[in-house]
Amino acid sequence: MTNVNNLKSLENLLELFLGKVVELKEQRLSVLEGINSLDDISRLASRGIDITDEMGEWFANHNRWLTDRSFKQADLEKIDSMLSQIKNEIKIDQSSPPARVKIDREISRWSETVKETSSKIVLKRSPESTKEAIKMYENDTISLFLNKLERSIDLFKDYSANKQHILSVLDDLLKSAIIQKNKDALILSAFIIYYLKQNGYKTEPFVKKLKEAETILTGEVLDAN
Amino acid sequence: MLTSGEKSYCAALMALKRKDFKTATEHFKKAAPYFEHDREFNLFFETTRLLVDVKQELGRYEQDDKIEIEEIFTDG
Repeated sequence: MTNVNNLKSLENLLELFLGKVVELKEQRLSVLEGINSLDDISRLASRGIDITDEMGEWFANHNRWLTDRSFKQADLEKIDSMLSQIKNEIKIDQSSPPARVKIDREISRWSETVKETSSKIVLKRSPESTKEAIKMYENDTISLFLNKLERSIDLFKDYSANKQHILSVLDDLLKSAIIQKNKDALILSAFIIYYLKQNGYKTEPFVKKLKEAETILTGEVLDAN
Repeated sequence: MLTSGEKSYCAALMALKRKDFKTATEHFKKAAPYFEHDREFNLFFETTRLLVDVKQELGRYEQDDKIEIEEIFTDG
């Protein structure tokens, strides 16, 4: 039952983390979704399919982008390149239907605006690091966990350099946790052990070492108190 | 045009938004060769993969907990 409870709390933690990722990336996601759908339209156009309706719908849904000044340069370049590609494909002449002519004009208008926006230089200044901001950061468990994960990735890269197998990496990490009393190495070891267990490896000897390291580190914390 | 890796990364994030973690993992897998040195990508991918594994493991426990109930009618 304890195992189920542990898994459930891990499930909640991971879902919470990914939920926050989506929340943080909300604006970026909407930009990516728009660029992705424009890319789909440009692919249809390159296959000779009539994209008048799709393009009209795309303009209607993303009209506010024309006045949005927070776009990344790379995104603007992508949008401009896709619009140019679509414009080349739809080929307007005297016999073209009015709806297609309108789309062509709208593409030109967008391209001009996108070019204007991308030629502007935006200078941004990072916020001041006040004591209050630092305190808020300390209470932000999501950021703290994210930092921990990033540090773990760096640690793993350091320990895995020139190694042939993950078991050698784990062994070294556990040694570091025991000898150097490295808490990051302990957490990363636990993560690797769980990963190995999921992949059918025998993990008992490593679990034993992990418990030994944990006891040493807990003892250190108690001594310090 | 976007590369297939970029399209897959985008689809993975959209799936995360819908809380469809299994589909997100599939899209992350397709995008992985294009973003192998992107730390943020790897973090999102590994976290989603771990979550799917945890859910699968929990599902196994829940199946074990199921009690089979059989109704028996005697004399019609």
